[in-house]
Amino acid sequence: MTQAINHLEMAGITKRFPGVLANDDVTIEVQAGEVLALLGENGAGKTTLMNVLYGLYQPDSGEIRINKKPVHITSPRQAIELGIGMVHQHFMLVPTLTVAENVALGLVTSAPVLDLKVVSKKITEISSSYGLAVNPEAYVWQLSVGEQQRVEIVKAIFLGASLLVLDEPTAVLTPQEAAELLNLLKRMAEQGRPIVFISHKLNEVMAVSQRVTVLRDGRVVASVKTEDTSAQELARLMVGREMTPRRREGEARPGRTVLELRNVQAANDKGSLALRGISLEVRASEVLGIAGVSGNGQRELAEAISGLRKVTDGQVFIGEREVTNRTPDKMIASGLGYIPEDRLHVGTISSFAVWENLVLKDHHRRPYARSIFLQNGPIRSATASLVGSYGVKTPTLDTPTGRLSGGNIQRLILAREISRSPSVLLAAYPSRGLDVGATEYVHTKLLEARKTGTGVLLISEDLEEILNLSDRVAVLYEGKIMKTLPVSEANERILGLLMAGVA
Amino acid sequence: MEHIIQQGLLVGVLATGVRLATPFLLAALGEMFAQRSGVFNLGIEGIMMMGAFFGFLVTFFTGNPYFGLGSSLIVGFLMGLLMALVSVTLKAEQGISGIGLYMFGWGLSGLLFRLYVGGITSIPGLGPLHLPVLSDIPHIGSILFNHNWIVYLAYLLVPVAWFVLFKTPWGLRVRAVGTTPEAADTLGVSVNAVRYQALIVGGVLAGLAGAYLTIGQANMYADNITAGRGFIAVALVYFGRWNPWGILAGSLLFSMADSFQLWVQVMGITFPYELAVVLPYVTTILALAVSVGRVWTPAALGRPFDRGSRG
Amino acid sequence: MKRLVLYLLLIMSLVVFTACGTQQASPSKEPTKETPKETKSEKIKIALVLPSTMDDMAWSQSMYEGLKAVQEKMGKDKVDLAVSERLGNAVDAGAAIRQYASQGYDLIIAHGAQYQNVLKEIAPDFPKTSFAYGTGFQAGPNIFAYDPQAQEGGYLLGVLAAMMTKSGVVGVVGPVEAGDAVKFNYGFQQGVTKTKASVKVRVAYTGSFNDIVGAGEMAKVHMDAGADVLTGSSQQAVGAIRAVGERPGKYWLSTDMDQSKIAPNTVLAAQAYHWEKIVSKMIELRKQGTLGGQHLILSFSDGTLELKYNDKLADKIPKEAKDAVEKAKQQIISGQLKIELPKK
Repeated sequence: MTQAINHLEMAGITKRFPGVLANDDVTIEVQAGEVLALLGENGAGKTTLMNVLYGLYQPDSGEIRINKKPVHITSPRQAIELGIGMVHQHFMLVPTLTVAENVALGLVTSAPVLDLKVVSKKITEISSSYGLAVNPEAYVWQLSVGEQQRVEIVKAIFLGASLLVLDEPTAVLTPQEAAELLNLLKRMAEQGRPIVFISHKLNEVMAVSQRVTVLRDGRVVASVKTEDTSAQELARLMVGREMTPRRREGEARPGRTVLELRNVQAANDKGSLALRGISLEVRASEVLGIAGVSGNGQRELAEAISGLRKVTDGQVFIGEREVTNRTPDKMIASGLGYIPEDRLHVGTISSFAVWENLVLKDHHRRPYARSIFLQNGPIRSATASLVGSYGVKTPTLDTPTGRLSGGNIQRLILAREISRSPSVLLAAYPSRGLDVGATEYVHTKLLEARKTGTGVLLISEDLEEILNLSDRVAVLYEGKIMKTLPVSEANERILGLLMAGVA
Repeated sequence: MEHIIQQGLLVGVLATGVRLATPFLLAALGEMFAQRSGVFNLGIEGIMMMGAFFGFLVTFFTGNPYFGLGSSLIVGFLMGLLMALVSVTLKAEQGISGIGLYMFGWGLSGLLFRLYVGGITSIPGLGPLHLPVLSDIPHIGSILFNHNWIVYLAYLLVPVAWFVLFKTPWGLRVRAVGTTPEAADTLGVSVNAVRYQALIVGGVLAGLAGAYLTIGQANMYADNITAGRGFIAVALVYFGRWNPWGILAGSLLFSMADSFQLWVQVMGITFPYELAVVLPYVTTILALAVSVGRVWTPAALGRPFDRGSRG
Repeated sequence: MKRLVLYLLLIMSLVVFTACGTQQASPSKEPTKETPKETKSEKIKIALVLPSTMDDMAWSQSMYEGLKAVQEKMGKDKVDLAVSERLGNAVDAGAAIRQYASQGYDLIIAHGAQYQNVLKEIAPDFPKTSFAYGTGFQAGPNIFAYDPQAQEGGYLLGVLAAMMTKSGVVGVVGPVEAGDAVKFNYGFQQGVTKTKASVKVRVAYTGSFNDIVGAGEMAKVHMDAGADVLTGSSQQAVGAIRAVGERPGKYWLSTDMDQSKIAPNTVLAAQAYHWEKIVSKMIELRKQGTLGGQHLILSFSDGTLELKYNDKLADKIPKEAKDAVEKAKQQIISGQLKIELPKK
């Protein structure tokens, strides 16, 4: 290990990108033995700040001081040498290489030949002393996201990190894995490391950190001790207004069945069975939540229902009609609305303009088209009013959709899907990657749809979301429904166990 | 020479095929490094032409093929550097810049040939290298082990390339940069530097492949001497799935099929010549089509690296 | 800045490319709209379109040298000569041909069988211009077709090969099985077998006109398989000649032009094409007002084809061999000897 970092300060950091002021005079400070939480919505400038620290970006002004001495970090290599380790939000691992090779990639060595044995041995030492189980010989593509995250942490420690920065580390973990990680971070801080924990999840911040710095629109709005604040106050600081989590209101008054799956089986892309006989029912005016760690068949389930994946056995009904293995346009015509997991590539065509994406599903029908011609007048007025009522922030109707933020793309998809008044709405991870404000909006809209009689099938990993919105919860594990239970009987612990396959 | 006929077709086909595979092997191994690092260099053909020409030119003026060989390597180095400048630093579209490099190489070699040589002339080439023991094996020794040393070098480079790619820190960096450059970047690996290096290695090997054509095979130079061999080498990199052994298999398959059809024609075996000349291509495409399994490609192939494009 | 460098590189390569592609052609300075025939009786503008390069030591170079000889004879100021090379692709060539025609060239020679259709399309648009191509026999109102009787020289070289071979095997390195090459090979085969029925002729094709490395490899295979006298046509033949030159005791017989320079100890004899006579004839016809429509034949009978021995190897060829060749030549000229050609 290089020198230990006892104190790190980033003072007055300003970073501009063309047209954006990502960091505006930001100052943070962290000491050995404590966890500093960096809290903020998406786009608040957290990641930019950390990329400045890691030498990926050069600040326009400001100074970084390690152990009170100013340092100039111009490259990741230098950051590593100074003892800074970073676990990025999107893992920085090469999937086609083994764990040991991924770690060795960061080694500065003059040896002409790789000695992976030595690397593997040291990885094993680190993993046993921190309780981070990783197999150095495994290929990264074979690992679950939880395992990949452990590899990232081991890699940082291996390369001599004294200070650890973790960017949204729990976003991809099960509740149990997330809890384990938070414990690990606490332990590591107690051993005398400074840790920077980036998140927008308030309960995690409250649980793990000693101090919190809140960023909003690139500026520090507060730096407080965790014990002196509350989740409510942090939420208000982060969003800039009062926040209340959206919950379903009123008792469920489920109506007729709008979607039914009978013993559905389907294969994944590799050809092995991903859905092993799924049976479920969604009624009008209810939200059925599908909880589970992603990779247990969620994607295949959503695609089987929307007609994108072949159902190898079993039946799918929308309303009274059987629609098994019908084409997506038949599904749409039967009354299915779909908010897909990948909003940038499946949900929209990112190079298309906002108005084009909005009429994508109805462009061939009146009033948008007459015989073979698109009707620009009706399209423009209809899409303009949708953009207005769903609050899609876009410079013009002609802006390519890919240029919008995630939250705005999701608003656009909601506008398209909900305005068509579907009888059943399939929402896959509708708030993944969105910040608090955008999430709140998505939840409001889903609940509105429920109120107007739509049956909502909500696939999510976020238990808080599931518990707040659903009337009933089904847990998906290895392609099977473990159990379906009314939300009144569910809580995080019970669901967490079911999600891990423990009945 | 007469005993070759006694040995039958097989030895003749093998001996010719082994020799024919050499330029493909050299160029494709070089291209493999470039593509593994994420850069698709379609300009191999142009680099080979320049390597072939300078190898010829310097040998022509000095009378020493080793000087010619050295200059081919230098020209290959410079052409690789030029490709790197255009495709890595300037981030030009790789397919277009590769074609540009090809046209540049063809044009410049043709122009310089006219200016400094002016007519078809032959040069002293590299003679066959006598290998102790091996070359002395009765019958087959003088056939299979009677090549100049570039041929042996090309085959020797297969395990060497494998070792470099999979067992050295540099090879690890090349593989990482061609798959997930962002990850390599966060570990302090300079993505662009590695791509420069890989393109230069590719250029030098393509230069050597060109030199083999003029100094080792034809012992002369004429316009467009490579006749598409560089493009075949690029295809063989795909065939070989970016693996030196696969490239060896592809180069040998193509060249053996070529050698086979040459022998079939020359021995007067009744076979339509139109089918014979396309045999190597058909064989290779068929082998590619029937080989099962999804093809892995370097994920970042063709994509310039830009740190600023990240959130 | 980056863009600028990129553009510079692009321009650089284009300049290099075109500089090599067209030699001496600066026709744009000339006035273009004049009717060529009457006003330019004392000066003629000739354009030559070549599939390979004018220094290919074969097909293209032989025509280029023929034109140079014409220019030499008529005087440099009397003949304007422009050459475009590397236009093996007939479509690309079409663009160049049209350009020359619209720039007022009097005679445009597209030197290859593949240009027949392109000329048929272009020629009616320029009725005052003369076009020429070959090998071919279909002429047009302003198109000359020239047609070397390659089989005649092929026959004579076949006689020589049969007399010279010791192994009893002779090899042909063919380009593509078409046009000139087929005629030459037919003649060669007949020459060999009519002279010595026991000698085997092995004919193979590379499938290309310009792969000199491939031609060299094919020659090596021929020799490995026992051939000791070889021949072959097209510009790629130089690669084969060089390969034969590396093995003492093996001989090559040339066609298109005298190629003994490449391997002085290997090339025994050559069938040389005297293009200057054909070009002169076309110029003469044009002066008399005939813009095309003629099928011009190159043959031994009028001296447009010629058999040349390599002086350096003169003593290697026994007298009876030379006599046999001479006898056959006289029979061809007199029409006594008919060489069969492939039936179309």
